[in-house]
Amino acid sequence: MMNNKLQVTPAQMFNAPVLFFVICKVQIGVGVYGFQSLVYENAKQDSWISIILSFVVCHLIVFVMFKTLEMYDSNDFYGINLDLFGKYLGNLLNLSLMLYYGILFFAVIQNFSEVMVTWVFPDIDPSFIIITILLLVIYTFTGGLRVIIGLCFIGFFLPQWMLAILLYPLEFANINYLFPILDNDFISLLKGAYAISFTVVGFEVITALYPFVKEKRKAKIYVHLGLLYTMIVYLFVMLVTLLFFSGEQLQRVIWATLSLFSIVRLPFFERIEIFTVCFWIIVILPNLCVFAWSAYRGFNRVIQISEKKFILIFTALIFVGTLLVKTQFQMKVINELVGHISFYTVFAFPLVLYFIALFKKKILKR
Amino acid sequence: MNSLKSIPLFMAILIVLAGCANREILERTSLTTLLGYDLAEDDKLAATAVIRQINPDLESKVEVQSATEETNRGALMKIELKTSKKIGVGQLRVALFGEELAKKGLDDSIHALIMNPEVSNGIYLAVVEGKANSLIESKYKNITDIGQHIFQLIDHNIEQNHALSSTLHEVNRDNTTKLTNFSLPMLKKQGEFIEISGIALFNEGKMVGSLPSEDILYAKMIRNDFQDGTLELTLPSATLKMESTISEEDIQIAIDSIKSTRKFKLVDTAVPEFNLTIDIECLLQEIQSELRVSDMKEQKNLEKQINKKIESEIKRIIQYSQEIDSDIFRFGEQYRAQNRQAKNINERWHEMYPDMKVNVTVNAKVLRDGVFQ
Repeated sequence: MMNNKLQVTPAQMFNAPVLFFVICKVQIGVGVYGFQSLVYENAKQDSWISIILSFVVCHLIVFVMFKTLEMYDSNDFYGINLDLFGKYLGNLLNLSLMLYYGILFFAVIQNFSEVMVTWVFPDIDPSFIIITILLLVIYTFTGGLRVIIGLCFIGFFLPQWMLAILLYPLEFANINYLFPILDNDFISLLKGAYAISFTVVGFEVITALYPFVKEKRKAKIYVHLGLLYTMIVYLFVMLVTLLFFSGEQLQRVIWATLSLFSIVRLPFFERIEIFTVCFWIIVILPNLCVFAWSAYRGFNRVIQISEKKFILIFTALIFVGTLLVKTQFQMKVINELVGHISFYTVFAFPLVLYFIALFKKKILKR
Repeated sequence: MNSLKSIPLFMAILIVLAGCANREILERTSLTTLLGYDLAEDDKLAATAVIRQINPDLESKVEVQSATEETNRGALMKIELKTSKKIGVGQLRVALFGEELAKKGLDDSIHALIMNPEVSNGIYLAVVEGKANSLIESKYKNITDIGQHIFQLIDHNIEQNHALSSTLHEVNRDNTTKLTNFSLPMLKKQGEFIEISGIALFNEGKMVGSLPSEDILYAKMIRNDFQDGTLELTLPSATLKMESTISEEDIQIAIDSIKSTRKFKLVDTAVPEFNLTIDIECLLQEIQSELRVSDMKEQKNLEKQINKKIESEIKRIIQYSQEIDSDIFRFGEQYRAQNRQAKNINERWHEMYPDMKVNVTVNAKVLRDGVFQ
């Protein structure tokens, strides 16, 4: 094997059960704001089936990812790439993987600021919001991996009350919107599942986190459990949305979840959705940090650089990127693009990698 | 830069930056609680706003302002020219529309409201008989804050099943699909009071008809399942063979605590034909004192008469909605949900709707009749 083995000290490691929170956290991000209309466009009243389908695929991919990771006892995808494809092609793949995390980071922060500007502060400059978040990211990131993981843990528990708030819109539920069940063909259900790629990705950070898990054998269970939990959350949100909106309406709503919140009127809180939008920063902050950290792991293999320097360069690049996007339509195009990219990186690439790794192992044995 | 030193620095930057956002100070903002729209000359929109001024020292003041402009936003801007404080619509509770505007179409007004993120999805919409402006600007002796008053009026009546729910979300939901139409409560100025006078029925955003307030509960029976309604019925006395000595032709009864559940069954997709079954459980609240329902047989007979009466009323209301082609009862949704072949039903539904047949069956059950026979 090549000299790309990682040196991980025990102090940097974390326990396997924590992975459950990390996975839940990274998967639930800005996508929740409006994934419903994307699925509905294809799968109509059977959208909830599409969600189940997409998570079945997620479980399969995680299974394959772990199979690949277990072939090497403690390495991440970056190292595996280098081992399988050599210096040049391997580094090229690593670069695209880093780029992918960067794009994900960019999409999350851009979507969040877009929602913030539309719903809460129409006359504020989006750059201001972005700078504020980036400062928070820098601050957290310099704390190291364990701080980021800790943030994931908090970020998992704090927003749970929102699920209870989502029971309020059921007052306006109309069960007819779910019928007739299974009236759409399998292809459109798959298309619906494909449309939410951007919303369900995030769990691929396991490929970068793996060397830092203490009990490697247990890691698998907690990742699968995390996926299961996210599926339940998404399924719940999707069902409430389907019951609440009529089909044509859902296709025209931009952020369905926020519109759901908008009808809730609590005695002490008239407009809860304004609060949830602001509160969402707790939801996305851990995600941003984990994505940035995953990119850092790759970068560190090419150029030895301190975490502090890396995050400063990284956020500066992201900031410049966000200056280029101005309108809602550009945002829509970018989201679609990110959806495609994430599908290929998260769902297609690990499969290919697995078969190549398997192939290589077989040949070496002979 | 070690991390301990950097904390205060970040905090300082954050506080300085957070101070940059536009402040909204309550004393310097006036809150619009009610908006009224009317049709003005040249197809312009006349907006009337009830604005609540918050004053920390004195009691809050309610102010009414109006302006005429091409668009919703334009009218609000013109109103802003007339007020001393910045106007916010985040606390908007009710939007009223004049009858004339409603007949011309509300699509654009509803769309303007739903597009504005500042406006909640839960505000109530209603139609005013006559002009919204004159209803709002009139002086009422007992009403100090008309915005709050109209909101309470609509809100509690919906809760008591005396009006059909008409939140912006529901109206928009029924209006965006061609399978259903929406309805709004109608308000009317009655001397010193404002009352809910009935429901306005819409087709493609245009008001095409109305039902009086007595029919609201029947309409509600078709639209929703609900609990706790009250209904007054007139039954022909000849059919009620009780120990009666009265010679009047009609007798009035009132039933209370109505619990109603309905079931739609599509029996023929071509016509289309529905079986509508409504199960009612109720409490006999008022009946003429000479009449006594003393045994099982009489009870059954009374129930039969109640069924007959409600059935005929519901049939009449459905027929009326078919005549004016306004499907506020969401038969279209039921049709789509129960028929797998109904893929392109959206375009065709309104051609089918006037020919639709509905077989209404009501099963009323008088559970008890108070504490005295």
